[in-house]
Amino acid sequence: MLLTQLNKGERATIIDLSLVNESVRRRLLDLGISEGSQVCLQCKLPFKGPCMVENCGQSLGIRLQDASYIKVEKKC
Amino acid sequence: MLNIALIGNPNTGKTSLFNNLTGTYQYVGNWSGVTVEKKVGIIKNKKGNLIDLPGVYSLSPLSKDEAVVSNFFVTETFDGMINIVDASQIERNLLLTLQLLEFEKPVIIGLNMTDVAKRRGITINEQLLSEKLGVPVVPVIARSGKGTATINDLLTDDLKVDASFTLKYGPIIEESINQIIHLLPANLSIPKRWTAIQLLEGNAEVRKYIRSLGDGAGIDSIIQATNEQIADETAASNTSKWIYSVRKAFIEELIQSSVVTEESENKSLTDKIDKIATHPFLGIPIFLATMFLMFKLTFDWLGIPLSDILDGFISGSLTTWLTNGLNTAGASDFIKAVVLDGIVAGVGGVLVFVPQIFILFLLISFLEDSGYMARAALVMDRTMEMVGLNGKAFIPMIIGFGCNVPGVMAARTIETPRERMLTILLTPLMSCSARLPVYALFVGAFFAKYQALVVFSLYVLGIVVALTLAKIFSSTILKGEFSMFIVELPPYRMPQGKALLRSTWDKGKGFIKKAGTFIFGGSVLIWLLSYSGPAGFDVPMDDSFLAMIGNVLAPILAPLGFGTWQAGASLITGFLAKEVVVSAMNIIYHVPNADSLQGLLSNEFSALSAFSFMVFVLLYVPCLATVATIRKEAGSVKWTWFSVVYALVIAYVLSLVIYQGGKLLGY
Ligand SMILES: Nc1nc2c(ncn2[C@@H]2O[C@H](COP(=O)(O)OP(=O)(O)OP(=O)(O)O)[C@@H](O)[C@H]2O)c(=O)[nH]1
Ligand SMILES: [Mg+2]
Repeated sequence: MLLTQLNKGERATIIDLSLVNESVRRRLLDLGISEGSQVCLQCKLPFKGPCMVENCGQSLGIRLQDASYIKVEKKC
Repeated sequence: MLNIALIGNPNTGKTSLFNNLTGTYQYVGNWSGVTVEKKVGIIKNKKGNLIDLPGVYSLSPLSKDEAVVSNFFVTETFDGMINIVDASQIERNLLLTLQLLEFEKPVIIGLNMTDVAKRRGITINEQLLSEKLGVPVVPVIARSGKGTATINDLLTDDLKVDASFTLKYGPIIEESINQIIHLLPANLSIPKRWTAIQLLEGNAEVRKYIRSLGDGAGIDSIIQATNEQIADETAASNTSKWIYSVRKAFIEELIQSSVVTEESENKSLTDKIDKIATHPFLGIPIFLATMFLMFKLTFDWLGIPLSDILDGFISGSLTTWLTNGLNTAGASDFIKAVVLDGIVAGVGGVLVFVPQIFILFLLISFLEDSGYMARAALVMDRTMEMVGLNGKAFIPMIIGFGCNVPGVMAARTIETPRERMLTILLTPLMSCSARLPVYALFVGAFFAKYQALVVFSLYVLGIVVALTLAKIFSSTILKGEFSMFIVELPPYRMPQGKALLRSTWDKGKGFIKKAGTFIFGGSVLIWLLSYSGPAGFDVPMDDSFLAMIGNVLAPILAPLGFGTWQAGASLITGFLAKEVVVSAMNIIYHVPNADSLQGLLSNEFSALSAFSFMVFVLLYVPCLATVATIRKEAGSVKWTWFSVVYALVIAYVLSLVIYQGGKLLGY
């Protein structure tokens, strides 16, 4: 599934970042987010605004568009 | 003399440590990208210089501030590094550390934010970490200064190099590294292995540097071939990914052995505040409410009463003392006139607004240090995206409320050149503190009951005009598809009293300095021009050179509602610094204090033309210092001229619309 399909507060593991735009992916890697990272969708802003994602205690904001290219697997 | 560079991820407390080790003050704030240029200070132990640099995640730059660091590595010589590592985010911080260790220079790791890590239940065995990496690891709390003495002691003349650290990247990469090393110039000033690895990773700055030394075609083809080989033979799709994963695996092992994390599931304060600050619907209203509150404080509640007291002092006691002093010293009438009518009226007329300006700076410093800036960027991103910018551009704009110069500089953190240029061009529309005295003067005279509201409306107008122009520019002259936005949201931190005062003073200092230079010089000049005319000295002001200059502009300004030579002359001199508009008015109308100037102004202006005048002052041209900064940051004379001209045009048009429209509506 996609990162944007998670509900607020749900955790998941990132499985594929290859569709994400090159520069955006570079930044994600910089922030320590790569395939295998655990993330939690903290909130989505309205009107297709960016969403807030947490990883290892670090929150970051990322555009909905970019997030929708990130494939994740929900933790059960 | 040692030259020690401070390197680390953004927002990890490098500048805080710099301030502690050098005993100076550089800009600190709780978001990524506060420091955007190299700053040098002398270490307290007098052993050498400390160099503060912008924060970076890796040595391959994406944005302009990051390029400053890569550039530093390839072109400057230094003796060692202090690598600041955020203990609460140690995993990703170490990715950079590995690249630094490869540089074969002495490294001291400052393990910062140990207080935060402790609260999160993270315990780091720094002894073990130090053994594994082969460098000293010193736990510190840069904010309070704990542990900085140890670092200070380590900075001695015989910093020892420990070149024992090498991370092996597997056969394919190692082979390519060897090949590249052979092709590099023999007398290369930077370590060859490091250079080879950076080239393979795709570090654009290093590549540019190597190319500048000679033909790099051989190296390029090795890089190309390695990329293909990695893609074919490994799970990674390119070299940089492979290198990343090797580093990551190394770090994971390191962490396994030396870091213990206890799960602590209590909700932090940050989560609670974020529930409100980035609330889906309340986010933007909260931002506006915060701003409005700022103006209420700056004007109605605190600022005005304080500046009234100051005004009383300057126009009362101070003037009396000066007059007596000058009389006793037997000063000539000319000198007396320069001092009392020129300097006291001009500089004093601006200084009375110091309380308002300091309160505004204090509030901005609070916002900066709390962690709200990144949230504002997040909340505004959608709006900014629609006008062709991204949320990060909002941070330079907020900083611009204090002063446009650091605002324009802050645009360096924006990754895409197009968006950065737009931000540089539009930040000067943010109403900086220098415009505040002008507003204070006019709202006091014409909008006594609604001071905060009227000033607030001007700030909002600045933002609205900037966003509208962003839309226009980005769909005409600065077109481009690509836009990106990722922002780190740091935990909220309660700003500390002392740090807050330091930061307020640091901003306010600039204002006082300006009072002693631009405003002083401007005042003397204006006074001289008003004192002399074609007929000689001590002419009636209406026959002075100043009136002649102002009269040229008056007919042009008449449709805007302020077609007097006085308005024209003060606007011209306002290009020096916007406060000078107020100085000029004080000198021209030659009144003892702000109260009586306000009384006089109400004969010359109506409420409508006063508003139109304020709008014009808000928008008309960036001040001299800002223009110089735009020139430096945009790196283009053409764009610098553009920033001046478009501002003039937009100011004229808007003031015209407001004045003529207002008249039609019967104001
Ligand atoms: N709790 C805590 N906060 C700290 C510590 N050190 C710094 N801070 C805070 O962290 C924030 C960032 O500090 P800076 O010194 O501006 O960080 P920087 O690394 O220079 O940041 P950039 O210039 O953006 O790269 C500020 O709000 C500091 O007050 C620390 O040891 N503990
Ligand atoms: Mg800094």
